[in-house]
Amino acid sequence: MEVNWLIIWDFIPQLLKGAQVTVHITVVGLLGGVILGAIAGLMRAYGNSVINAIAFVYIEVIRGTPIVVQVMFLYFALPVLASIRIDPMTTAVLAIVINAGAYIAEIVRGAVLSISKGLSEAGLAIGLPRWKVIRYIVGPLAFRRLIPPLGNQFIVSLKDTSLFIVIGVGELTRTGQEIMAANFRAVEIWTAVAVMYLIMTGVLSLMLRMIEKRMRIL
Amino acid sequence: MTDAIITFRSVSKHFGQLKVLDEVDLDIHKGEVVVLIGPSGSGKSTLLRCINGLEQITGGDLVVNGMSVLGGNKVLREIRQEAGMVFQQFNLFPQMTALQNVAFGPQQVRGMSARQARELARELLAKVGLADKADHEPAELSGGQQQRVAIARALAIKPKVMLFDEPTSALDPELKQEVLNVMRALAAEGMTMVVVTHEMCFAKQVGTRLIFMEHGKIAVDGRPGDVIDTPPNDRMKDFLQHV
Ligand SMILES: Nc1ncnc2c1ncn2[C@@H]1O[C@H](COP(=O)(O)OP(=O)(O)OP(=O)(O)O)[C@@H](O)[C@H]1O
Ligand SMILES: [Mg+2]
Repeated sequence: MEVNWLIIWDFIPQLLKGAQVTVHITVVGLLGGVILGAIAGLMRAYGNSVINAIAFVYIEVIRGTPIVVQVMFLYFALPVLASIRIDPMTTAVLAIVINAGAYIAEIVRGAVLSISKGLSEAGLAIGLPRWKVIRYIVGPLAFRRLIPPLGNQFIVSLKDTSLFIVIGVGELTRTGQEIMAANFRAVEIWTAVAVMYLIMTGVLSLMLRMIEKRMRIL
Repeated sequence: MTDAIITFRSVSKHFGQLKVLDEVDLDIHKGEVVVLIGPSGSGKSTLLRCINGLEQITGGDLVVNGMSVLGGNKVLREIRQEAGMVFQQFNLFPQMTALQNVAFGPQQVRGMSARQARELARELLAKVGLADKADHEPAELSGGQQQRVAIARALAIKPKVMLFDEPTSALDPELKQEVLNVMRALAAEGMTMVVVTHEMCFAKQVGTRLIFMEHGKIAVDGRPGDVIDTPPNDRMKDFLQHV
């Protein structure tokens, strides 16, 4: 079969729909992941030994297992264990939340701990409650150091959504696979899929670079 | 005495097994300028940091302006409003200007309006000789200037006591004086001060009381003029020869 690039046009709408699902899972998943990660990271940085240990176990379990196994666990093992049945889409979002959350927790913890202890003490010493020290002093400083590694994690998570092919979520990779199965246009389709991922990660990088620039001026 | 503003009642402090303060008894009265000296590791910083609860005491009781440091978080925050602290490393908030550094506390802690807080901050910056640096960020200031901003920041909370932990140790010799002069002026106004320092001239001229610490205990407690000129104990004599 000869390579015919023009054929891609016929499948653009279908691929775009897949990309839309990818974006949806990524955005919602990362939103949850950032919240979960911030909580777990702050638990690690400020919690007493019990709170710290809870966050530590969560982070280590997630970082120590492949994301595919986590997805399988959520989708196939959870119904058996707890009779909770969740649909593929929810499973996908949840997997990103839980997986990205663990990595983001370590990023948050690292950024917080990189801010000198003396600054927190100076805040406490003028009578600020701990939460205000975090909110107004450590937080803004840590946030600047957070952006680059956070951006990295966003890109990783976006690409991780391609794994949801295993539970049949119609995201971009799965869509490509389905088209391929029908017409065997491997070169054209996988090139198109790759370019679409590149565009998405490229936009993400660009956005982060812009935020970074804004932060430096602040 | 009734006018003690800080009272240590056999205060101990352990870090794990290490005993850093060993049943310290101490009364500090209004208007006193207490200079704390002693070898490295003798517990000077720890003693100071127990007063405003940056370190938690592990034995005895410590009362500041009628409030015990064991009274919980809320009481501790009130104590910190009565006992300002100045650190060796200045610790100014780097994302804020000098003015914002000083205005932040009164606004957040004392509930002042932003305008009132800024006015107070300007007043205090003028007092430490930095009226013209209000809009500079800490990174744009010399060490001596940063430390003076830090003093203004601590004063902005209107504390009754000021705690200084080696405020000039991180400064070049020619910058030490500008900070010491601010502290001198503060003492002259009658501010109660506890100062860890190696500046013996300052101790003699400004201090009303000198405490020599050793192994977590107060080994010598007397008038600076007397005990510096004739140290009552050999280790203190040794120590003074090396500063
Ligand atoms: N957070 C901590 N954890 C464990 N040990 C500590 C801690 N802070 C201080 N120490 C120990 O307590 C002892 C007293 O320390 P402290 O800082 O009070 O001494 P210092 O008299 O201020 O000394 P220096 O003149 O060097 O500042 C030292 O042995 C120190 O190592
Ligand atoms: Mg010290």
